[in-house]
Amino acid sequence: MSELQPAYRQPELADLVEHDRVHRSIYTDPEIFELEMARIWGKTWIYVGHESQVAKPGDYYTTTLASQPVIMTRDHEGQLHVLFNRCAHKGAQLVGDDCGNLKEFRCCYHAWRFAMDGRCVSIPLEEGYADAGLTKDDPAASVRKVPRVGSYKGFVFASLSEEGPDLEAWLGGVASSIDNMVDRAPDGELEVVPGVMRYEHDSNWKFFVENLNDMMHPMIVHQSSSLTARVVAKRELGKDAPLPPALEIISPFTESYAFFDDMGLHAFDNGHGYSGGKNSIHAAYSDVEAYNEAMNQAYGEERVKEIFAVNRHNTVFYPSLTIKGAIQTIRVVKPVAVDKTIIESYTLRLRGAPDELLKRSILYCNLINSSANLVGPDDQEAYFRQQEGLKTQGDDWIPLSRDINSDEELEPGHYYAKGSSDLAFRNQLKAWKQYMLAED
Amino acid sequence: MGLPDALLLQHQVEQFIYAEVRLLDERRWEAWEALFADGGTYWAPAAHEQPNPEEHVSLIYENALLRKVRQQRFKHPNAFSLQPFPRTSHLVSNVMIDEEAKDDSPLVASARFIMHEFRRGQPNSYAGAYRYELLPIEDTFLIQQKKATLVNCNGTLTSSAMYF
Ligand code: FES
Ligand SMILES: [Fe+2]
Repeated sequence: MSELQPAYRQPELADLVEHDRVHRSIYTDPEIFELEMARIWGKTWIYVGHESQVAKPGDYYTTTLASQPVIMTRDHEGQLHVLFNRCAHKGAQLVGDDCGNLKEFRCCYHAWRFAMDGRCVSIPLEEGYADAGLTKDDPAASVRKVPRVGSYKGFVFASLSEEGPDLEAWLGGVASSIDNMVDRAPDGELEVVPGVMRYEHDSNWKFFVENLNDMMHPMIVHQSSSLTARVVAKRELGKDAPLPPALEIISPFTESYAFFDDMGLHAFDNGHGYSGGKNSIHAAYSDVEAYNEAMNQAYGEERVKEIFAVNRHNTVFYPSLTIKGAIQTIRVVKPVAVDKTIIESYTLRLRGAPDELLKRSILYCNLINSSANLVGPDDQEAYFRQQEGLKTQGDDWIPLSRDINSDEELEPGHYYAKGSSDLAFRNQLKAWKQYMLAED
Repeated sequence: MGLPDALLLQHQVEQFIYAEVRLLDERRWEAWEALFADGGTYWAPAAHEQPNPEEHVSLIYENALLRKVRQQRFKHPNAFSLQPFPRTSHLVSNVMIDEEAKDDSPLVASARFIMHEFRRGQPNSYAGAYRYELLPIEDTFLIQQKKATLVNCNGTLTSSAMYF
């Protein structure tokens, strides 16, 4: 036998994820990536956008769903739709820009026209199809709809599969993270503001999604930004001076292991979960007086206390959406290739809150999520190094075994562990395995 | 202003901008920082029509304090994404004076730039427009704002911690 036998042999799909370890190929193998796109991204609920992005009749917003171009529209009766961005004639993309407002769609190629709900309105020289029996009223002449669309309090998800659990059942325990973000708006409504960051990561999508609830990394990965912010604040402002908002945002990333342990992890079915509960790195931001007043007026002090008592860090709606309710930013995951992922960041306005809140969310997004800023690039680097490191043949397995026997089941299907546990990894990969092995 | 004065001012503004980006390429952060006026800001918007840096996300929007954090981070032994430290080369052209300084209002100059960056073994290019607000001080200037708008500021971007 040759000395040069490859050390790596691809195990069966079913053997790639065990309870306490995962095989490196799920992050590095392009064939597995293609399967993920079909079996996870092509099946489950994927975040499309927020209803506020198509607030008015005739509004449309383009994005992708499992790499396929789609359009979220609001028709002139006020109904929401998610259409494939494909002309019913010869397949040209119907709209090319990010968003806009239209009376109807008109294809750039042969000018078939479609209503905002996708119905064909007119075909030039329609009589040419008479012998073939095609008319504009034929369903085949309409822009096809994505099979299932659901909206939970303004967050629109869609699924490329005809079947599956309904959106609310699928969200399960993490719906409460959306509830809390909405509750933080004095008017009870959120609005995505213009401005998106699209940050290319040269790594697999799962590294990003897993990292968000990896509470063993912030105090290490973010030393160069967070510790530096503390040092600079002391030097420039004095030892006990209150921190300006920007440094208030960066500093907590290097809290202690004990702090992150205390935040805790919560895990639910379908890979969902969040870190932080009563406390998080967002909990100690200075009060904004006018905001507290607006909240008290809207909800009464008792209820406001309950709303603010929920202070979560990252909530993951596996696999496509992650939100930070306490600072009103969301990140959307767009897998491109096995080693390429685009992360989009959006900021939300709490309707009825003073502008200061939006400004703080924007500041947060700038400092943490921007490709040119202080915090995110060190995470991005860690994923890249994993992507590179896992090319090696030294060891095919990654452990998921920290605190493997200490998960607590708080209620059926709701698991809790301290922050340093691998619970979030195990939970996401359990869902990954279920999706990947599910029969068609 | 007669022609010689206009030429002189154009020359001064160009030389100031060339010297400014040279400090970035030569990693002389403290000397670069000294070019800013009190309250001076550096701004890289995330959209072309971005109205202001407060109500819309930006790639970078920094006052002196945040610039100090960034520059100090450059030297931090655990700034992993900066290892090895990126090299840059800024090319500036098309420098024009849009508004001359008047009373309290600064001189406004615009230019086009290309920043070539070599990071993690990969060459990367960024191009865009500069807009400077410069306060004349004796025979030089202090920066009230340097704004660098990438042509693809609203597109998909890779990591770059360097000032454009
Ligand atoms: S492809 Fe759209 S009208 Fe022909
Ligand atoms: Fe991080």
